[in-house]
Amino acid sequence: LNPLELTLGIMTAVGGFVDISQVVFSALAGSMFGYSLIWAFGVSTVGIIVFGEMSGRVAAVAKQPVFNLMRHRLGLKLGLVTLAASVFSTLITCAAEIGGLGLLLRYLTGASYMLMATISAFVLMAAIWVLPFKWIERTFGLLGLLMIVFVVALTAIDPPWEKVAAGFLPQVPQGLSQKELMNFAYFAVAIFSAVMFPYEAYFYSSGGIEEQWGPKDLLTNRVTAIAGMALGSLLSIAMLASAAQLFGPANVGPQIPGSVALETAIPFGPLGLILALLGMLFAVAGAAVETAMANAYSIAQFFGWQWGRRRQPWEAPRFTFAWIIMLLVSLAIVLTGVDPMSLVQYAIVFSILVLPLTYLPLMLLAGDRKYMGQYVNGWLAKILGWLFFAIITVMAIVALPLFFLTSGGQG
Amino acid sequence: MKPDGQIKLVSELLDLPLYDVEGNYAGVVDDVEFRGSAGKDLKLKALLVGPGAYKARLPAWAMWVVRKIAGDRITRVPMDKVHSIGSSVKLECSGRDLGLHKSERAAANWIPHWGAL
Repeated sequence: LNPLELTLGIMTAVGGFVDISQVVFSALAGSMFGYSLIWAFGVSTVGIIVFGEMSGRVAAVAKQPVFNLMRHRLGLKLGLVTLAASVFSTLITCAAEIGGLGLLLRYLTGASYMLMATISAFVLMAAIWVLPFKWIERTFGLLGLLMIVFVVALTAIDPPWEKVAAGFLPQVPQGLSQKELMNFAYFAVAIFSAVMFPYEAYFYSSGGIEEQWGPKDLLTNRVTAIAGMALGSLLSIAMLASAAQLFGPANVGPQIPGSVALETAIPFGPLGLILALLGMLFAVAGAAVETAMANAYSIAQFFGWQWGRRRQPWEAPRFTFAWIIMLLVSLAIVLTGVDPMSLVQYAIVFSILVLPLTYLPLMLLAGDRKYMGQYVNGWLAKILGWLFFAIITVMAIVALPLFFLTSGGQG
Repeated sequence: MKPDGQIKLVSELLDLPLYDVEGNYAGVVDDVEFRGSAGKDLKLKALLVGPGAYKARLPAWAMWVVRKIAGDRITRVPMDKVHSIGSSVKLECSGRDLGLHKSERAAANWIPHWGAL
C-alpha cells in the first residue's frame, strides 16, 4: 500500500471534519460542555468510516458513485428532492468555506475580507482547472496535515487525560438546566451531522472512481477510510479538548477561527499561531474544493453528464461548468456580507435532513449480492450500517425542532 | 440479465448508468419504450436517455426546473445496441454513434481547451 494512496481519505476527512464549521463548532462545544461531547465525535466517526468504506467498496466493485445509486434506488422524484436538498446544503457549506478563507487570509495578511474571499475563490478555481484529480487530493490532503499542530498543542498543554478519555463514553453532563440540556442535545446532533456530511460520501466514492479503483483496491479503500476519517476525528477532538482546557474555565466562547487558532498560540507562541492559521487555511481550502466538486459530481451523475477531473476540463464540460458555478455562487453569497459562521448553522441542519436519503440506497446496494458478489456487506457492516441509519434517522427528525428551540445552539 | 431476456421489473432498468463500448459513461436510462399491443407480447424497444424523457415521470413544475438546468434532449438507444444489463447498461457501440452527449460536445465549445495538466 502506497502511503500517498491515503490522500483521498485524508482530503475527504480533513475537508469534512476540519472545515470552517467544525473548527468553530468543536472549540465552542469544548468551551461550553468541557470534554463531555468527545463521544459524539467518536461515535459519528465510526459511522462515517462505515459509510465511507461502503461507498468506496461500491465504487470499486459496482463502479457506481453514490448519486447514481441514489437515483436508481430512490427513483427519479425522491432522487431529485435529495439532489436539490444536498446541493443546497453543500452550496451553503461551500460559501461558508470561501468566507472562512477570506477571514483566515485577513488574519494572515491584514487585507480586506471581501478581497481575500474573492481571491480565494479564483485561486481554487485555477487549482481545480489546472490540477488533475490525484494532484488535487494530494495537494489539499497533505497541506491540510498542518492541522496536526492542534494535536501537538493539546499534548503540550497536558490536559487531564483521564477526563479526555472519559469523554469517549456517551454521557450527559450533570446539573444542566433544561435550556442547557437542549443546547447539549443540539450540539450532539450537529456534531453527528458535521462529521457525516453527505458531501464526504459523494466526494469519496466519486474519488474512488476517478482513481479507477477495482476489487484489488479494496484494502486501500478500507485503510484509507479508517485512517483518513480517524485522523480527521483526532484533529477535531484535539480542538475540542484544548478549548475545554483553555477557554471553558475562562468563560470564553470562541466564535471565530482566529480565537480557535489561539489554542496553539498559548503553548507555542507566534509560530504556533501561524502554523494553526496555515493549517486551517489549507484544510478549509480543501473543504471548499471538496464541496464545490461534490456538488458538481452529484449534478453530473444525476443527469448523466460526463464527469470527473481525471479528464481534461473540456472533456467533461458541463461538469466543469457545474463546479465553476458552485464556486462563483458561493462567492456571490459571501459578497452579500452574510456572516459565514451563521451559514454554517444552516448547512449543518440541512445536511442532517439529507443523511438518511444518502446512506439508505448505499446500504441497500452494498448489501445486494447480485451487484456486489463476494464483496457484499458482511455481518459487521450490516449491523453497524443499520445501527447508524437508525441514529441518523432519529437525528434528522429532532434536528429542526432543536435548531429552533435553541436558536442554533445559542441558547 | 440479457437484453433479449424477460425484464420483470422496469424499475430494475430505470435510472441505471450507461457505458458505451469504449467504457465511456454515456448517460442514464431515463425511460424505456415498448413495442407490442393488447393481446401481444410487450417487449422493450429502446432506452430513452436525456432529461426530456423525465416528462412522464415528473410533475410539470419539476420538469420546468429540470429543463432550465439540463435541457430537454432525448436520445433513443435501440435495444439491439445493448450488450448487457447488470449494475449498469453496457452498449455494443460508441455513444457518439448513437448521438449521445451532443449537448456535451456543444458545451465543450464554450470552454477553453488549454491550461490543464
